[in-house]
Amino acid sequence: MKESIAEPGILVNLRSIPGLDQIEPGDAQWVLGAGVTVAQIEDHAGLRRAFPGLHEAAAEVASRQIRNVATLGGNLAQHSRCWYYRHRDIYCLKKGGDTCHAREGENKFHSIFSGNPCISPMVSSLAVILTALDATVVVQREGETVTLTMTDLYQRAWDNPTLHHSLDRSDLILRVEVPTRWSRSAYLQVAEKAAFDWATVSCAAAVRVADGRIQEGRVVLGSVAPVPYQVAAANRLLQGQTWSDALGGSVAERLLRDATPFAHNGHKVPIARALIQRALRHVS
Amino acid sequence: MRDHAGLTGAKEVCDRGTCGACTVLLDGEPVYACMMLAIQAQGREITTVEGLARNGNLTALQEAFVDKDASMCGYCTPGFVMSLTALLRRNPHPTPADIHHACAGNLCRCGTQPRIVQAALQASGVEVLSRTEVISYAHLA
Amino acid sequence: MPTWPEKRSVLGRRVRRADGPLKVTGAAKYTSDVQPAGCLYGMILRSKWPAARVTGIDLSEAVRSPGIKAAILVRDGERRVRYYGEELAAVAGTTKQACLDALRKITVRAQPLPFVVKEADGIQPDAPRVWDEAPNLSKPQVTERGQVDQAFAEAEVVVEGTYSTQVEIHHCLESHGNAAAWDGDELTVWSSTQGVFSVREGLAGNLGVDQSKVRVISEFMGGGFGSKFGPGVEGAIVARLAKQANAPVKLMLSRFEESLAVGNRPSSIQKVRLGATRAGKLVAYELDSYGTAGVGSGAATEGGGGGAEFPAPYIYTIPNTRVQHRGVALNAGAARAFRAPGHPQASFGIESILDELAVKLGLDPVELRLLNDPSEIRQREYRLGRDRFGWREKYRLPGSSPGPVKVGVGCAGATWGGGGGGTRAQAQINPDGSVEIRCGTQDLGTGTRTVMAMVAAEVFGLPPEAIRARLGDTAYPPSGGSGGSTTAASVSPAVYDACEKALAELQQQTGLEDVRGENWKPACRRLGLEPLVVSGQWQKGLSSSGVGGVQFAEVEVDTETGLVRVRKITCVQDCGLIVSRLTCESQVNGGIIMGIGYALYEDRVMDAGTGVVLNPNLETYKLPGIADIPEIDIVLVDMPERGVIGIGEPVTIPTASAIANAVANALGVRISSLPITPDKVLAALGQVKELTA
Repeated sequence: MKESIAEPGILVNLRSIPGLDQIEPGDAQWVLGAGVTVAQIEDHAGLRRAFPGLHEAAAEVASRQIRNVATLGGNLAQHSRCWYYRHRDIYCLKKGGDTCHAREGENKFHSIFSGNPCISPMVSSLAVILTALDATVVVQREGETVTLTMTDLYQRAWDNPTLHHSLDRSDLILRVEVPTRWSRSAYLQVAEKAAFDWATVSCAAAVRVADGRIQEGRVVLGSVAPVPYQVAAANRLLQGQTWSDALGGSVAERLLRDATPFAHNGHKVPIARALIQRALRHVS
Repeated sequence: MRDHAGLTGAKEVCDRGTCGACTVLLDGEPVYACMMLAIQAQGREITTVEGLARNGNLTALQEAFVDKDASMCGYCTPGFVMSLTALLRRNPHPTPADIHHACAGNLCRCGTQPRIVQAALQASGVEVLSRTEVISYAHLA
Repeated sequence: MPTWPEKRSVLGRRVRRADGPLKVTGAAKYTSDVQPAGCLYGMILRSKWPAARVTGIDLSEAVRSPGIKAAILVRDGERRVRYYGEELAAVAGTTKQACLDALRKITVRAQPLPFVVKEADGIQPDAPRVWDEAPNLSKPQVTERGQVDQAFAEAEVVVEGTYSTQVEIHHCLESHGNAAAWDGDELTVWSSTQGVFSVREGLAGNLGVDQSKVRVISEFMGGGFGSKFGPGVEGAIVARLAKQANAPVKLMLSRFEESLAVGNRPSSIQKVRLGATRAGKLVAYELDSYGTAGVGSGAATEGGGGGAEFPAPYIYTIPNTRVQHRGVALNAGAARAFRAPGHPQASFGIESILDELAVKLGLDPVELRLLNDPSEIRQREYRLGRDRFGWREKYRLPGSSPGPVKVGVGCAGATWGGGGGGTRAQAQINPDGSVEIRCGTQDLGTGTRTVMAMVAAEVFGLPPEAIRARLGDTAYPPSGGSGGSTTAASVSPAVYDACEKALAELQQQTGLEDVRGENWKPACRRLGLEPLVVSGQWQKGLSSSGVGGVQFAEVEVDTETGLVRVRKITCVQDCGLIVSRLTCESQVNGGIIMGIGYALYEDRVMDAGTGVVLNPNLETYKLPGIADIPEIDIVLVDMPERGVIGIGEPVTIPTASAIANAVANALGVRISSLPITPDKVLAALGQVKELTA
């Protein structure tokens, strides 16, 4: 709003809707209201025990001042941080124009995967860990309540350059349900600054371990694609395996196979590779 | 806050929630004043830097800021003071890492950060000794 | 010639900053906090084109916009604009929103012109010209000493490399801005400035009024770093708006505007060649450098100007040197003085190639410097710093640290002039014993108030808290701009002189021999009703110029992610007479931290396609945060016999060079362009695939 990218005539304060700011533990799943602040997630001791990766991701979100007001729903539905999109005097593809300036321009922070000509990446760190945790999102849509997977929540942005997520204008995120079946989870990011900086690449991993073997695993990347990026085939590589660096390497290779970096963001590939290894090593 | 209440301690530096100079406490928790509409604060308690010292007595943190020279131009100082006031209430014995985490959202251009960490530690009761030395040139081999 | 007292009881001590309590309570009033009754807001309309011919600007709708009390053109008639963000028009209104709305109602007729915003594009012969009269790339300024070609031919070792530094933005936390109020034909301006007198001079000239009718006040200011000496275009605008509106107007720039139009440090692209004997003695040096000062390159000469030069071969004395500097004009905001103008660039080029030479010769980088550095002071500082830093234990052959997180060390030296002069001060001793010191200098956050109080306290035998130091007002005795690390060296002698004279006067008037310390109050009471007011001025002998300083850096580099983290900086800095130890140490921290920003994070990013600054904010123009700051170990070298010398600038010069050398030492490959970001580190390590498309 301050850069006049959005000029709404009416603002509705979602924070005044009762009941959206609750964190409810459960045996099969935890339920987090869309109005829960990122600071609430960061500070919640039980949540931290259940989902360490979610705590780690929340603690990396912006700064304490932002986390105190930023909500889970807002974090998931946030818009692109692309510096062309955010510039008040640049009319780009994402704003409805016909050019993605980043493709031939300053694309150091942009996507290495995209299903459309806009290469501004999805940067929500909570989305990355919640995707790894196989969370579902309950959305109020035209009077109905629908449940979306995290993949559903972003899928439409994969091939539509003007979108940031799959939500329609009247959709409202009500809550996020996080299954407890994971044994361990982790979130890591690399940013140029030690804190309060957007991730160059972020990576979340979650595994279910039984009998010393990984029964099920998820690895998800952020800041590399218009959606939280995962590859089912890469996740499958983990199934039934015990941890080794070689396993991590092959997951990374599979996950990054289709990367198409631009002139200034080729470094995201080795950074992603390192983070995939480290996150998996950590949870395994 | 600044224009109507005359409370100019909180500064406008970036106006985009990136620098922390406008940090105030909303019901005791630090927030960026520049990222909050007045209507969102309805019915809630706002503490600005002007509200910390009582009857001219600086808080322990403010005293420590002066002692350790944790301000230079002073423009970022109120914001840091507010972030750390909230931290010390939440966690009276912070580690340097806790202090870094609490102040990640505050920028300083003059370079007071090392002394801000020292001030916060001192305010938490940890004695911080400066290792800085003055050596006479004559004694320099 | 006067001298400082041999025995000093206040000077050199750690004394609390005089205005510290005001700063920690929010009571300190900066220009942005000033709100004269009925004050309006001012706001500027800026060019959306990086280059254009502006044929007409229509203010009529803006004038009629609700709440608008004044609207002006910055310049009448047809004009060229040469960068995105150049000032076109301005309004004053009752609220910021009223101004924002009004700016949107101004229509600008303009014919966009081709533009160029990248150095590499700007030097091309067919690049669009920023100034019509000459090509963007200036004619080289060449200085040559000795027999360069012959020396290179005979040199036993030659190394060469290209080193580049980025455009850095000052980003003072208080933006540039002023509040202006007219009373008849007299103008009062509150200004966020490094020079109240230079702002007065600039404004009076610009407005065509007598200097005597302009008063400039800057009681507190939120940082300058070289960018705030004059009133700027925005200063003239606010005075004109206030005149037209017949009401006070305050105009503070936004962070966005700060990124475009109020100065920066020029870039440099330095091709360096260095010849030496096998023992490491430097014999030949050649530099071919260019850089941009934006539209400032060529502004004075309407094309082909410089603005990006720097001293070379900097602190080293080499018998045969050829130095060539060129400036390239670009459609970008003009450079301004920036903390140690030219020196960090100069240091980065020479200290980088010097370490390359050390690698080639298999020499320890400190030894190489001891062999070539002509300064005895820095020689001693290197030896002390080496031990204190633990250089011998930490230094390993380049790249030999085990990975994946490799550790490395580096060092670099600096020089700076500084020096004092041209300042007057006034001491007022009141009958109740209270003391006021007045000087028309300003406190940038360096601690000038504290310095003034400490000097007076030393002379009068009083505690510094007993002295009220007043500054930042052209109503006080004149002093120069606070730049070039000259403030302490200018102000301290003037205050000393005034206080010494006041002390003598007090003795004479009261007939008392000893009026200091506990005799002070009874003596002052004898003044009766009339305070004693005595003027003094800067005196030779109490200050001098020329400092060195060396720094050591220890870094760790994650070779898998490209992240660099500075672990430690050790700084050994000669200081002359240390006046205020606490604020002096703070300045050293500040210089080093600014150097860390220059080394690792800061970079103004221009977009070749649109001509705009892509990171006009503190989100993507990255200043170091508190977690990015390493352990900083400071040794101040006290040389009281030299008098007061400023140190604000030398301490920022060698930091980035030392860090870059430490990174090269860790990795065994050099990242030769600042800032050293993960993408560059990974590319240097061969981890980024070359694009085939």
